[in-house]
Amino acid sequence: MRQTYLLPLFVFALAFFAYFPVFAKDASSKSFLNIQEVQSPGGLSAWLVEDHSVPVISMEFGFKDAGSKLDALEKQGLTQLASNTLDEGAGDLDSQAFQGELQNLSINLRFNSGRDHFSGSLKTLTRNKARAFELLSFALTQPRFDAEPLGRMRIANQSRIKGSMSEPDWIASRLQFDKIFEGHPYSQNSGGTLSTLEALTADDLRGFMKRLGRNNLRVSVAGDITPEELGQVLDSVFGSLPDASVPAPKPGALSNAGKTFLYVKDVPQTVIEMAQPGISRKDPDYQTSQVMNFILGSSGFGSRLTEEVREKRGLTYGIYSYFMDYEEIQVFHVSTSTATASVNEVIELIRGEWKKMIETDVSAKELADAKSYLVGSLPLSLTSTDKVAGLLLSLQMDDLPKDYLDVRQKQIEEVTIADVRRVAQKLLKSETFTTVLVGKNEGISDADIIEHLPNVE
Amino acid sequence: MKRFKLLFPAIALALCVCVYTAASVLAKEPQAQTHAEKVFNAQTFTLDNGLQVVVVENHSVPVVTQMVWYRVGAADETPGKSGIAHFLEHLMFKGQSYPGLGEIGPGEFSKIIRSLGGNDNAFTSQDYTAYFQSISSEHLETIMRMEAGRMRGLKLPKEEVESERKVILEERRQRIDNDPRAQFGEQLDEVLFPNHPYGTPVIGWFHEMEGLTWEDATGFYQRWYAPNNAFLIICGDVTVDQVRKLAQKTYGLIPRVEVPKRSRTVSPPFIARSAVKMTHPVVREPVFQREYRVPSARQSHDDALALQVLEEIMDGGPTSRLYKSLVVDNKIASAVNLSYMSSAWDDATISLSGRAMAGYTPEQVEAAIDDQLRILIKDGITDQELNEAILRLQAEAIYARDSVTGPAMIIGYTLVTGSPLDDLEYWPQHIEKVTAQQVQDVAARYLDPDAPTPTPYVEGYLYPPPPQTENAEDQP
Repeated sequence: MRQTYLLPLFVFALAFFAYFPVFAKDASSKSFLNIQEVQSPGGLSAWLVEDHSVPVISMEFGFKDAGSKLDALEKQGLTQLASNTLDEGAGDLDSQAFQGELQNLSINLRFNSGRDHFSGSLKTLTRNKARAFELLSFALTQPRFDAEPLGRMRIANQSRIKGSMSEPDWIASRLQFDKIFEGHPYSQNSGGTLSTLEALTADDLRGFMKRLGRNNLRVSVAGDITPEELGQVLDSVFGSLPDASVPAPKPGALSNAGKTFLYVKDVPQTVIEMAQPGISRKDPDYQTSQVMNFILGSSGFGSRLTEEVREKRGLTYGIYSYFMDYEEIQVFHVSTSTATASVNEVIELIRGEWKKMIETDVSAKELADAKSYLVGSLPLSLTSTDKVAGLLLSLQMDDLPKDYLDVRQKQIEEVTIADVRRVAQKLLKSETFTTVLVGKNEGISDADIIEHLPNVE
Repeated sequence: MKRFKLLFPAIALALCVCVYTAASVLAKEPQAQTHAEKVFNAQTFTLDNGLQVVVVENHSVPVVTQMVWYRVGAADETPGKSGIAHFLEHLMFKGQSYPGLGEIGPGEFSKIIRSLGGNDNAFTSQDYTAYFQSISSEHLETIMRMEAGRMRGLKLPKEEVESERKVILEERRQRIDNDPRAQFGEQLDEVLFPNHPYGTPVIGWFHEMEGLTWEDATGFYQRWYAPNNAFLIICGDVTVDQVRKLAQKTYGLIPRVEVPKRSRTVSPPFIARSAVKMTHPVVREPVFQREYRVPSARQSHDDALALQVLEEIMDGGPTSRLYKSLVVDNKIASAVNLSYMSSAWDDATISLSGRAMAGYTPEQVEAAIDDQLRILIKDGITDQELNEAILRLQAEAIYARDSVTGPAMIIGYTLVTGSPLDDLEYWPQHIEKVTAQQVQDVAARYLDPDAPTPTPYVEGYLYPPPPQTENAEDQP
């Protein structure tokens, strides 16, 4: 492939994913996406995009603030292990019986552990929907956490960690989280450590379940289902959940500004991860920051970082800048990798682009191209029912309104050259970069050498 | 979606939009019943210059995807020039000019696509090289003109070669040289395909990539890139008639070119059994991996179908035979995998691997896997296993329609590795005809660990370093 696979999926999560099964061909129609708000008889709600063209239903659901940030230090990996074991037996069905039904009915059920939120997804053929929703309900309300699958999932996680320990980009990411979030639960290893996983028990998992309540639940659905039927489904799947008590998020700040850390590894290419404070999706300047970042580094070919570092100098296969907006701390990242001898040159080039963006206006063409892409590519993301549902859920988890995508389009259209300069001056602070390097210790000065990777063993 | 067994290699791709709607095509077709059974309802025609065009109409959104697949890949390279197919793929974005199809400067191609609100990318494999864009349907003619313009109109400035060669070397460092497991896989392939180009990595060997030149790239391009050695897939908000007109206006301007017949060296018989052993300091858990050479879908349609069912039964999920036996019941391995990649021009591969649990060696994992193969070969499969596997596979064909990349990608893999479109369109019906006996037969023919003559496979063992002292287990 011509472009790097480094590009993390979440980079474009918001900007590019959308779906328009009921795309408005009528020019007078205002909204791209026909989102219905469904209320169940029992008082639960969900967002729905109805689409009967393929006999498939995708449901995405999330529990706000139930993610791994609540895992105690000595119980790192609890949320992850819960996500692995919730579908390993429930009610009268043991692990093999439960998994056997999912498999034979071609039901895709997954639970996902996020740092902020806990979520899950269910995708089923219409013909198997009744049993699919029933199995989901069992998993959420009567999970068994039997010893055999618990042990097996523990080992699978430990094995994953041991495998990851050979990967420079994983090491860089682990170290970066440890340093930029020092003192905050985000700094922990959400996937668990070899020893914390060893100690986790079925009782811990039962304790975890208290985080999942009907009060912090959000549900989005796309596909072959009517609002009336979805209302019934909501009550039957989620209706018996109790209320959960999870702490409200509190704003934090990044640590280790201006410092460089090196984890020495004998590989021919050094991984470079740089981070500075980011911007919240609820900030009025958020869309302007997306336009700025498209020009700076999120767009691949044509972005200034890719032009300077890859196209002009051949120093990397991929370089990207991207925002990560967690609930409590927002981050702006740059990710790349380069041969050992070019590390300092690449870092200087990145800093140079920061300076240029602050000190000079972007060109009218750069701005027009960025807006044209960010607005025009939205219909492109007509992907699949699970991606529609996923996008809707991400809006709900961030408490954004149903018309967010329409507002977003309008706000992007209105961004000016002066806006980009102002936001660049406000946001870009290269002196606050926390830099993490994984590679050979050659030519690197002023770096703290990291001997042991934290929260892995 | 887990995977679409026919032809869906795990290749991560950027956005590629194409969603199937049955109604759009059915309304026009008198034989609606027959067509309703097809997976994608693709329509196809061929231009005078030999370019085959495949169209999947979908009018639910004003978006189109274009893919051009060239029937040339890394396995068609001259020995000593490994990586040139992939290097050329990168260089195809470095400038073009063709009479009637306009001119584009170096590095401008992707920028133009972006400025129109579209996405584009490309990828290279052993058997093919493909380029694609997704964009608002109003820009279809523009992107067809652009893509057609580089089919024979590459104008590659010599100075672009130097910096882009550094980029592919960085790509190799990132994908392979920084990752011992990728290096291990590369070594296994090298032994599995003696005297056959599949033994050479697509990205190339580092020492050969360093020497690739402008002449190498343009020579490969001139030799292989031609309308009669490619096909075009358009999915989305456009009609077949519109595509036909646009294709004639753009790709139709390019004359047919004489292209060499694909000729590949053949492996000698496997007489001795090969094993690849690798110890690496960062490896923490030993791995057993075995790679077989088996028929591709082009070589044997029936065997490929039976092997797909076999794969589903042995490793189709958490209750499948290998996982249940090795991971759930006997706890010998922490993970086990059997995957059949049927889409290849020459031999396809089955990859079988297991990660040993603490206290077990890769050789013990191998023995446990072989026990399962012997049971399969001796006793076959039950009718229930067969029917459940077929139902699950057919369900994947439905899920494949609910996917962005699905239709265009799957059609591309099918055609480019030499299978007819109907093999894909009627795949659910074909898979339904596979019998238990066929599954048992292909197991015996290709996977028998006790076969008297060695079957073409290679075994690999990836070890962690030995403990440094006798008290190693006390160390943190």
